[in-house]
Amino acid sequence: MKKKLIAILLAGAMVALTACGGGNADSSSTPSTDTPASDSQATAADDAGNAGDAAGAGEEAAATGELVDGKFAETRHITVEVYDRGNDGGSDPTNNMYTEFIKKGMLEDHNVEVEFVKVPRWTEVEEVNNLLAAGTAPDICVTYSYPTILTYAEMGGVLDLSGYVEDYKADLPNLWDWLGETNMYWDKDPVNGTLWAIEGKLAVNNRINTFVRKDWLDALGMAAPTTTEEFEAMLIAFEENKDTLLGADADKMIPYSVSYDVGWRAATLIESFIDPDITDREYYVNGYDDRKLTQNGTKEAVRLLNKWYNQGLMWDNFALYGSGDTTEDDMMKAGYVGAFTHNWDYPFRNGEDSINANLQRNVGEDAYFVAIDPFNDSKGTHTKYVSSTAGDRKIFFPHTNDEPLACMLYLDWISDPEHIQYLQIGDEGVTHNVLDSGAIQTVAASGDAIMNSGMNIDYTITCNGLHLATEELTKLSQAYNYAEIDPDVVSQADVIAQTNAVPAKNVNVGTIEAEANIGDTLSAKRDQVYDNAVIASEADFDSVWDSMMEDYLSSGGQAIMDERAEKWDAVFGNSNMLP
Amino acid sequence: MAKAKTSKPVVEKKDSTRSYLKRYWQLYFLLSLPLLYLLIFKYIPMVYIQIAFKKYSIIQNVWQMPLAKNHGFEFFIKAFGNNDFRRALRNTVVLNLLDLVIGFPAPIIFALILNELCFKRFKKVVQTVAYMPHFLSWVIIYSLALQLFAPGEGLVNMAIERLGGSSIPFLNDAAHWIGTYIGVGVWQNFGWGSIVYLAAIAGINSELYEAASVDGAGRFRKMWHITLPGIKPTIVVLLIMNLGNILGSNFDRPFAFQNNLVMNVADVISTYVYRTGIKGLQFSLTTAVGLFQSVVGVLFLLAANWLSRKLGERGIW
Repeated sequence: MKKKLIAILLAGAMVALTACGGGNADSSSTPSTDTPASDSQATAADDAGNAGDAAGAGEEAAATGELVDGKFAETRHITVEVYDRGNDGGSDPTNNMYTEFIKKGMLEDHNVEVEFVKVPRWTEVEEVNNLLAAGTAPDICVTYSYPTILTYAEMGGVLDLSGYVEDYKADLPNLWDWLGETNMYWDKDPVNGTLWAIEGKLAVNNRINTFVRKDWLDALGMAAPTTTEEFEAMLIAFEENKDTLLGADADKMIPYSVSYDVGWRAATLIESFIDPDITDREYYVNGYDDRKLTQNGTKEAVRLLNKWYNQGLMWDNFALYGSGDTTEDDMMKAGYVGAFTHNWDYPFRNGEDSINANLQRNVGEDAYFVAIDPFNDSKGTHTKYVSSTAGDRKIFFPHTNDEPLACMLYLDWISDPEHIQYLQIGDEGVTHNVLDSGAIQTVAASGDAIMNSGMNIDYTITCNGLHLATEELTKLSQAYNYAEIDPDVVSQADVIAQTNAVPAKNVNVGTIEAEANIGDTLSAKRDQVYDNAVIASEADFDSVWDSMMEDYLSSGGQAIMDERAEKWDAVFGNSNMLP
Repeated sequence: MAKAKTSKPVVEKKDSTRSYLKRYWQLYFLLSLPLLYLLIFKYIPMVYIQIAFKKYSIIQNVWQMPLAKNHGFEFFIKAFGNNDFRRALRNTVVLNLLDLVIGFPAPIIFALILNELCFKRFKKVVQTVAYMPHFLSWVIIYSLALQLFAPGEGLVNMAIERLGGSSIPFLNDAAHWIGTYIGVGVWQNFGWGSIVYLAAIAGINSELYEAASVDGAGRFRKMWHITLPGIKPTIVVLLIMNLGNILGSNFDRPFAFQNNLVMNVADVISTYVYRTGIKGLQFSLTTAVGLFQSVVGVLFLLAANWLSRKLGERGIW
């Protein structure tokens, strides 16, 4: 009896469950079918974008009709993505004096209410995925990864911006002035004209530098190395003199430090091994991986790293710590690291918590990193492959965005030179001082005025790098832009970062289908190739490199190169260089 | 909702059932909560299994997504053609088997040893200390392991070097990594796992031991002929549950422990799914992988259960 009852009960539960399951499916289908259907305006706008200019004309009239003096009659509400960097002692990225400035300005100028949505900086792609899948992504999204946007776009998850940027042009003077055709249309598909993202502008395209401890060079009576051989000799000198340089901590000495991301953290070395006369075609075909894994000199560059690793000139454990881990930075701050390669201004970032400021506190006034330019290529120059004005952050609107005009106005507002300047330097006496020369000097702020990202780049999404109201002022202030850091050291790093710099060119031959859905897999594999090759024994280096590389290529790397070559030939014919 | 439906067929039943239900309705009411939990968090999400057979789109409802190629099996075919998946499958099986072979007997042996201790207070202290690691998250355990085993800077390796040996690559060489991974797994779990066995041992009739002593059995004889047979049903049930998990893998442990140097042996299905599916946006592919994993898990469970009943044990149902 009892058993029977339980059976009935369970069966009943099963029925209820199926009903519920079905019910749930129905109910969940309602809002989703709703979204495209119910806001028919949004769909219409969407279609207008897709269909191109024909429908665009009608749309334009409607758009300008909505605005009186650049303002909406009724208050609109938009959401904007902002990175949460989780800084120690930082301010709330969605609510601080800078967000207030933006919110107030947008409400006054355009009658648009702005709400910020924070997304963790180091897991942004995953987080935005989840938000998009849930239909709750911010109206304005920012990411560094174009393949990610392309993947969403192919699923129909991204608005085509080509219609909006054209139709609303008259309402977007600042945006067009600042980004120009280059950045606005950088990602425009040459075949069907779709535009899934707008490229934010790099105001400073310095990319990467190698740094060395100035006081160690002085202590050993060495000059800054200018060739790869001299650099190697310097590393060996650091290792041999570790007792002098570090005393009791001698066995913590790390002459040259990289992280698991070898392709980035030894980029100046790797780039120096690329043939300086490389053709545009070859560079593009091998250009999918931004860590230059398949470029023509990379293997030999890594062979050199492998030699250094086996000589004990590098950090044993670099591969064991993942993205965002601070162990390596802490070792730099504690003074155990002799040289490293990183973002051109890395040791200057974060004011009082910068690597240089920490070193000076922990080790002594003379202890700090300076930029050097040690890696010569086969022609004896120091070629560095830097970005163009584009190729940095990309802005896109998810399909759930039903306020495209308000969002475009936001981008315009945030590109206004005065607004950029205020967000970058804040209030006088609080976040900056004006020097006698007129230069703006950044000072360490506290409380609500703390900028979570240097120069508030997380808010100035169309602008990365210092850009003040006039060019002279920007130039003058660049070196004073790092609180607690000697301006001369910054200027010198700036000069080196621009020495023999080759800006990226835009090769737009249409969508490379092999690149969809594969970015993360390949970049993980890329890191594995680099890491395993660096730590292999010198005898095994070739076999490790070749077998790992084969895995990379067979997992999609080769397919991308083949398709890139094919599409290049289709567009540029036999020419190996861009027109 | 569940309650309304469940009570419905009962209405037409005989009086005894009704009075039975009337008498015990509180108990069934209580039961409905866990049932509701299962329904909401385990069964309703199963609607989305169909993603494995469909071309996923973030903007479409799951019912509207178009069927994938090859009658919906496109992604299964793709998965089995994928080197990374096959590698993850191999690693999952190998690591889980090693876990089973080494990790499964450990709590049994520990329980047997504890049971032989006569100094009660010492036993309690040992037991508590052995439970502790179970409450640490894998992220913390990995940080500990890193501090201890990292080459060059790890305490253990520093000690080895001081004693004149050469540093052991516990975490960055494939074979050593497997050893570390399994070893740390055993360390984390053996104390906690022994609780069930200790409870089973406590349930064994003490007269059996007395009788065996009278017959002249020593400690090992008693252990072999009384304690082990006494806890055999428990062992079998836990073994079945472990076998059902042979393709399953928890996520935190391999994810925390893996690094670029050992991915070849450390990438398991759960981390593969995370990397390719969540980070790489290939939801259909990884749902297919997850479904495959679950189906194999169920098969293993059924087979193990069938086997144990064949062997005269009770099985789990």
